[in-house]
Amino acid sequence: MSEEDDLISFMYACPFGLIELDASGVIGMINPHAMKHLLPLAGAQGVENFFTATEKYAPELRNFADGFAEPDGTICDGHRIVVDLGEKTREGRPQVLACSLVKRGPNQLIATLNDISAQVAQEHRMRQADTWFSALMDEINDHALLTIDGNGMMLSANSSFVRQTGYAAEEVIGQPADTIFSQADSGEQAPFSIADQLSLATRDGWYLSEGWESRANGERYWCQRLLVGRAEQGDEDNHTFSMVLRDVPEPGEKINDLIELLTRDYLTGATNRMQFQKILKRERTRYLTRRQPLSLIILDLDNFKMLNDMHGHPAGDAVLKQVARIGADCTPENAVFARLGGEEFALLVPDCPASAVIDLAETLRREIAGLQIAVPSGLINVTASLGCAEMSETDGSTDNLIAIADRRLYEAKHAGRNRVAPLAA
Amino acid sequence: MHDTKTKFETVQLTDLESMAQAERDALDFGVIGLRPDTRADIYNATEASMAGIDPSRVLGFPFFATIGQCMNNFMVAQRFEDEADLDEIVPFVLTLRMRPTRVRLRLLQARDVERRYVLVAR
Repeated sequence: MSEEDDLISFMYACPFGLIELDASGVIGMINPHAMKHLLPLAGAQGVENFFTATEKYAPELRNFADGFAEPDGTICDGHRIVVDLGEKTREGRPQVLACSLVKRGPNQLIATLNDISAQVAQEHRMRQADTWFSALMDEINDHALLTIDGNGMMLSANSSFVRQTGYAAEEVIGQPADTIFSQADSGEQAPFSIADQLSLATRDGWYLSEGWESRANGERYWCQRLLVGRAEQGDEDNHTFSMVLRDVPEPGEKINDLIELLTRDYLTGATNRMQFQKILKRERTRYLTRRQPLSLIILDLDNFKMLNDMHGHPAGDAVLKQVARIGADCTPENAVFARLGGEEFALLVPDCPASAVIDLAETLRREIAGLQIAVPSGLINVTASLGCAEMSETDGSTDNLIAIADRRLYEAKHAGRNRVAPLAA
Repeated sequence: MHDTKTKFETVQLTDLESMAQAERDALDFGVIGLRPDTRADIYNATEASMAGIDPSRVLGFPFFATIGQCMNNFMVAQRFEDEADLDEIVPFVLTLRMRPTRVRLRLLQARDVERRYVLVAR
């Protein structure tokens, strides 16, 4: 057998995806492992062009490549592509791919693709365990300790609490915990209230969170909080909890930049697909424990491919930015507006009646239809179709929530586009 | 041999099972036969020449973990696991000699036949 046979069979068997493409994304060479991942992503888009094939899941890859000014070098390294948004997947965990892009010359790029779902799931478990263990293993003196009853009322506080927060014990005892604590996960949208956290700690035995807190003198500090049900209680209806507070070095500006980079869509600044997946999971947990409404709107721009073909990708990008601005303006407090990929956006709205959510979708539709976007070839108009779904219509899974919203989006498209399904009552 | 027994769209699982190797090699489409453990035990000359690979590098190896990785997803491999009786033509893109190539695959499986087949038409 010849050397070429060796080389070809090596490429066929390589357990790592390799793709050669030109600057516009057209694929020259691709090995079977890369095709294994790319074909399911591409669907009807076809796999002739790498950027088109990944558009629905990682539209930023095209922007990364277009924005890379150097003649050669690494464009991105191990960039994560979140494939599954919901929780029910074949492998039992959401699929995440890692993609690296290297520019070899003016018109030659190499992309790699591999599946890192197992690693990501492992990281998640490690991170949880890490926070948990560091909370337990460090010197106990570092820990401020509070006892809280099932209604969130503070019952007792130790001396470390007084030292850490600057509040005197008698100032807080008998007060609701949320008078001195911010809601968990501050900085992100849709925080968990103390009542939510108590429900989760009742269900799971514990609840961990971290975020900014304020001392009595107004100074901010980064705080890890562990809320656990107390073991010695006999009265089923009268649970008490321990809250352990740990003052940890604050995440620096670099980390905040990194958080920004990892949670925002590169082009539009909307919440990105990966972050949306996390928020969706968290909101589902809240829905299951608190049974308050949770709605999803999926928004898809009409005839966007045609717009891109007629006016070019830069014009398409300008439209996407404007739509994201409208989305952000229309997003209620606690709701999350995200770009899922390509021309598809989502608005996740907790604690809002279904009829109000349909009205919200209608407002988005109207605002978008009223846009006039200036591009070099003139002014362009754009419309969107929207599908809405509410968690109480589902079997309790986010997959089902997405499927129902998607189906209605499809109905809106079929009914002639530029409309919302279901119609307002 | 009757015409329908040598055509990509119409050949039956039992026809393929009863063919001699030379007959399978003479077909104008690729024939890949897999054991229940997914190891390949048939790889005809047409497929070998399209893929540019010697059958000795394919036969005896778990197909979906090596040369057939691109089919190792819900579109092909999973269907053999999920559907005891399967006869379907699916549009697909293979990476023959590392070039993306549009093909049609025909997936054939029957509960009373041990071997399952993937047929490839360019």
